Amino acid sequence: MPIERFRSGEEMNASPARAAHQERSDEENYQRFVRHCARMRRLSKAVYPRGVYKFRTVEEAQAFSRTAHRFGAQEREQPGEGD
Amino acid sequence: MQQDEILRLCRAFQQEGLHYVLIGATAMAFHGVVRATEDVDLFIRADAENVERLRRALRSVYDDPEIEKIETEDLLGDYPAVRYYPPTGDLYLDIMTRLGEAASFDTVEGEAKEVDGIEVRVATPLALYRLKRDTVRALDRSDAAMLRERFDLDEEP
Repeated sequence: MPIERFRSGEEMNASPARAAHQERSDEENYQRFVRHCARMRRLSKAVYPRGVYKFRTVEEAQAFSRTAHRFGAQEREQPGEGD
Repeated sequence: MQQDEILRLCRAFQQEGLHYVLIGATAMAFHGVVRATEDVDLFIRADAENVERLRRALRSVYDDPEIEKIETEDLLGDYPAVRYYPPTGDLYLDIMTRLGEAASFDTVEGEAKEVDGIEVRVATPLALYRLKRDTVRALDRSDAAMLRERFDLDEEP
């Protein structure tokens, strides 16, 4: 079914193609994920700090991500000190 | 073909006998719910021997002295979330022994997936949904909605 036509977004979202994951193997699901992440990296390379950081809560970790991760970079930072 | 970094990690976890379960977007991917992410979230069982298994597994994948900073006292004590940014720079690991008061390795139902001959332990769709549905982060709520729709989960928040 290479082409499907829809009258609305709702109709599109209800398409059986949306349920295709149920027929994929674990291997196929995973490879699809790997390809998708690779596309994201090509579009916007993230630059992360290096090392080990510890947090009391997940919210603390998420706040750290907002300040320590940079996106859209072309090159990686040199390794630095962790905490 | 060179095995990708997440699979190399999972193979190392398997070889070391680490008690773990993947959660988050990486786990969702194994269920066919795919969105891009660069972090690998996992619960590990909270005991000293298991933390040592984790360090051994990481050492077998990365030549990185930083791994020694992943300390049992932290994960079993006041810092149940430890983040490790490996030298490759393409991903990072959020390693958790508990999440709030309710969720931990022992409370999250997992199942085995197999990729490239490697057994990967991932949280079930329902377990992922329960972890994500009550959080305040918009991304988690979106993930919960996707899981609910794809797997016909009928639990209300």
